[in-house]
Amino acid sequence: MGAYVIRRLAWLPLILFIVSFATFALARFGPGDPVTVAAGQIRDPEVLAQIRQDKGLDDPIPVQYARWLGDAVRGDFGESFIQRGFTVSELIFPKMWVSAQLGFLALVMIFVVGIPLGLLAARLAGTWVDPAIIGTLLFLQAIPVLVLIPPLLWLFALQFNILPVGGWDGIFEIWWIAGVIAVPIPDPHLYLPLLAFTLPGFVGVARLVRISALEVNTLDYVRTARAKGLSEANVQWRHVFPNSLLPVITVFGLALSGIIEGALFIEVLLGIPGIGSFLFEAVTSRDYDVIMAATVIFATAFVLTNLLAEIIYGLVDPRVRLGASRN
Amino acid sequence: MSQNRLLAILLSVLAVLVLVVGGLSAILLLSGGDDDNGGTASSGGGGTTTETGGGGGNLAEPSSGRIRLASSDPITLDPHLAGDATSAEYIVEIFGGLLTLDQDLNIVPDLAESFEVSADGLTYTFTLREDAVFHDGRSVTAEDVAYSLNRAASRELSSPTALAYLGDIVGMREYFFGLADSIPGIQVVDDRTIQLTIDAPKPYFLAKLTYPTAFVVDRQQVESNRNWTRRPNGTGPYKLTEWRLGERLVLEANQSYHLGQPSLREAVYLLSGGSALTRWENDELDVAPISVNDIDRARDPNSDLGPYYEAFPQFTISYLAFNVNQPPFDDPHVRRALGMSIDRERIANVTFDGMLQKATGILMPGMPGFVDDDLSLPFDPEAARAELAQSQYADNMPVIQITEVGAGAEASVDMQAFIEQWREHLGVEVQVRQSDFASFLSAQDQQQLQAFSAAWIMDYPDPEDVIDLLHHSGSQLNATGYSNPEFDALVEQARVEQDPTTRLDLYRQAEVVLLEDAPWVPLYFGVSHVVVKDQVQGWFEPPMVVPRLRYITVNR
Repeated sequence: MGAYVIRRLAWLPLILFIVSFATFALARFGPGDPVTVAAGQIRDPEVLAQIRQDKGLDDPIPVQYARWLGDAVRGDFGESFIQRGFTVSELIFPKMWVSAQLGFLALVMIFVVGIPLGLLAARLAGTWVDPAIIGTLLFLQAIPVLVLIPPLLWLFALQFNILPVGGWDGIFEIWWIAGVIAVPIPDPHLYLPLLAFTLPGFVGVARLVRISALEVNTLDYVRTARAKGLSEANVQWRHVFPNSLLPVITVFGLALSGIIEGALFIEVLLGIPGIGSFLFEAVTSRDYDVIMAATVIFATAFVLTNLLAEIIYGLVDPRVRLGASRN
Repeated sequence: MSQNRLLAILLSVLAVLVLVVGGLSAILLLSGGDDDNGGTASSGGGGTTTETGGGGGNLAEPSSGRIRLASSDPITLDPHLAGDATSAEYIVEIFGGLLTLDQDLNIVPDLAESFEVSADGLTYTFTLREDAVFHDGRSVTAEDVAYSLNRAASRELSSPTALAYLGDIVGMREYFFGLADSIPGIQVVDDRTIQLTIDAPKPYFLAKLTYPTAFVVDRQQVESNRNWTRRPNGTGPYKLTEWRLGERLVLEANQSYHLGQPSLREAVYLLSGGSALTRWENDELDVAPISVNDIDRARDPNSDLGPYYEAFPQFTISYLAFNVNQPPFDDPHVRRALGMSIDRERIANVTFDGMLQKATGILMPGMPGFVDDDLSLPFDPEAARAELAQSQYADNMPVIQITEVGAGAEASVDMQAFIEQWREHLGVEVQVRQSDFASFLSAQDQQQLQAFSAAWIMDYPDPEDVIDLLHHSGSQLNATGYSNPEFDALVEQARVEQDPTTRLDLYRQAEVVLLEDAPWVPLYFGVSHVVVKDQVQGWFEPPMVVPRLRYITVNR
């Protein structure tokens, strides 16, 4: 297993190289450039040409890419054109922090809500509740995020007017009681993005828990427990519940990559200053260095998440042997 | 794999999760608590904010009051790089130059106490004020001014705005392009005297000096600190005391400001976004812009917004531009026909609900040279059809494509109305193409667009900034390819005309020629709609960026 992980990690630089070069070239082949955008409304072509030359933006693409790569390897991701005077790293880490907080909350919520729903469905298998829960969750999963957000906004922000239409104000809002006691309550800006992140994700967890709980329910030790005269509640709590959780770990990686994927759309549509909306802004203003850094981060996160999913899966399920030859 | 091992894995995963959750919440709690501590204290809740009084305690009355505004991060606080209005709004408060604009957009001395113009109109001699100091107390000398102007045009800086504002100074262009090592047009006479020589007697040069590109920066700070723009040492009425990206930016009154102590002590800009009006209603902001969704409510004097609503005309113009080198717009009859068949007044009042004002020409009300007549082509479908009939394209109209900035699947609301009206009044079909901002700019600069919809924000209050700069046949910013010797002659004459009245009259004539030739169809002038809290007195939205905080008082 260790060797497999190392082998997989060894691929990471190559993947990043391919992704970054493709992104680099695509960005530069596209029309428009950051110098034009940054110039504002007075754009003298001669002046812009001079600036491009000063910044090395008129060099051949492989030369520019080599320069970028050399700097990036040393940890220098360049400077933003839309936030001058700050390095890309300085700008991108606060954005990653916002995305990470939100993604982490979403991840926890998917499990915290998905597991009880799955257990409930298993418990009530054979009644109408089971298909109702799973059917609803499947329906929610089938809606693309881009389609899901407008009705959520319409409902909660416009119709009921109880949630802000977007923005970000940290995880907690602090309520002061008598000006002394601080009570953290979740910030209202959190709810809509969390819904958008988690609604499509519940079903993966819930279904797996349901199947596994149903399976565990028929196993010998559960039958024995029942035969011993344990109350049904005790049987469920002590025997079924813990044993049906194991396979759930395997959807961890899947849920995480879903969240990373969703970040781009959800952050842009809900105005969350995370790395997704940062990348979007950078693309629209051709902020080359930011595009590159954000792409590299997204690609790395993707590769690592998938690897993590595989590792966990291999640990949990002895039938999966990572790195075993395929024949 | 044994049951035990599985359990061990599960437990360790859980343990890690618990640690992470615990750690995160601890960090969040700490930082969150911190943030809000500041917030409550300053909003006057539990904590008391004791002003530790400015150093200049013997001045008449210390600045007081605090205003909370919604804005976004400046792209840069380096005055020599900034070319956008958001950055400029902060920069004009923090920095200053030889000259500035007052509330009424008059050009008034700032760091300069006075200036003299030579008889030939080429040499400007500025005498600096004795009491002009940087925020850190150091005196501003002619050397500082010369350094700043040199820096603005330097190769190392690669400023996109340097030549637009300072290019008239003799030798500036050569210096920028690396053809010369110094700028002969900038001469330090003594500590308090600096002389600028320009290439032709251009009266609008003074107006250009009010733009941030000509502002003075602190050489010591710039050269010693790479990150100096994060806490710049300027000469302006306010100093930056805090800037957290995406969160807040705080300006505090410069108690020893040479043009008079500001009455407002502190301005807090909240940068995090979200609905400004909602936050205004929650009493988190003192001023909030009104969007088209809320304009009816704001205008209704009996609504909760009504008493607080104010509107201020802006020096911005939206226009349609036709590329005169591409058919069918190489025929002025077609341009005029299109311009006369759209009802801009109705669109401004109905489609935009009066958020915008119909453009009556190129110059906005309040601009020098503005006349109170409607110089623009009238809405007259009859005359438009007659124009079209005279055109060489009357029977064989090529495909017309208008480009606008946008990402949506459908055209902007006014463009949809135009298309409908062109179809109805002229029987002409027009296609709309939406393009992202960066692609749009580069296509516009290369005169690739057959027709486009855009806007212009005045940079300085002189007609040259829009009439000449965007339409002279030799101008680099002429995106329509428009060329008319009569027009060129008028604006060339206006460039160097020393008598202000004659000069503005020349621009008016040029404007009339331009509107008749119709490379542009002016659409609307911008209007800024805001609600302002009772405690704020003297709030105004100047038609273009000028320093304004120091005129405002807040009773809080």
